Amino acid sequence: MSTPAPESRLAELPGDLMIWVLIVSELLVFGAGIVAFLAVRTTDVVGFAEAQDLLDRTAGGINTAVLVTSGLCAALASRLRLAERRLAARLWLAAAGLLGGIFLWVKAVEYEAKVSAGIGTETHPFFTFYYLLTGFHAAHVVAGIIILALIAWRDSPRNLESGTAFWHMVDLVWILLFPVIYLLR
Amino acid sequence: MIRDNLWRAWAWLLAFSLISTFAAQWLETYASMVGILILALAYLKMRLILSRYLGLAATPYWNAGFGLVLGLYMLGLLGLYLMPFA
Repeated sequence: MSTPAPESRLAELPGDLMIWVLIVSELLVFGAGIVAFLAVRTTDVVGFAEAQDLLDRTAGGINTAVLVTSGLCAALASRLRLAERRLAARLWLAAAGLLGGIFLWVKAVEYEAKVSAGIGTETHPFFTFYYLLTGFHAAHVVAGIIILALIAWRDSPRNLESGTAFWHMVDLVWILLFPVIYLLR
Repeated sequence: MIRDNLWRAWAWLLAFSLISTFAAQWLETYASMVGILILALAYLKMRLILSRYLGLAATPYWNAGFGLVLGLYMLGLLGLYLMPFA
């Protein structure tokens, strides 16, 4: 049996190839940030644990539930669009975007509490990583919400597949950030 | 029993996230064991998002490839995490 040519392997990927290039690139960037976080942590485990105690794990947990639910909404939208159910797809996209907004609001409340307590990027290396990684991720959530709005407007199946893939990448990154920054002791 | 793949993936994602959060909150005495559990669950959650939400389940070649690379990466993170306990 012959092995498929490389082009046909790439063609197997769902959606546009460029969105996969973007997903892998983003995973590499955040992945490197997380490796750096854990590497610096090895030099000051107690300091990192004390700093982590100042985070709101419940807020982080709520945001995880919000984002994975938002991912479900986006995936359902993509499936419904392929079934030519455009209005239902748009409603699920709106739900995904709304949940993205809730994620940002919870994140903003978290940041506000930290800043009010005098915790900034210089307080401890833990918080340098915390603000850098979660802030960069939040910027992606903002971009994702804009993309969800755009694909709800220009709702070709191809647009939906690529746009929702970006949203799942945002989800994927948070799934890795949350346990490493908020939970690991 | 949830039959739809997407809803089932979502239910597992929520369940794994809850287990991770509660384990971190209530089992601090067993930090390293809980850490291993948390990273293992994070890996499973990422696999679920890739295979179900992003649709890689339809293409076993890429699903296995992403799973392998992510698995190696998570093993690296586990090594870094466990280093101070050694």
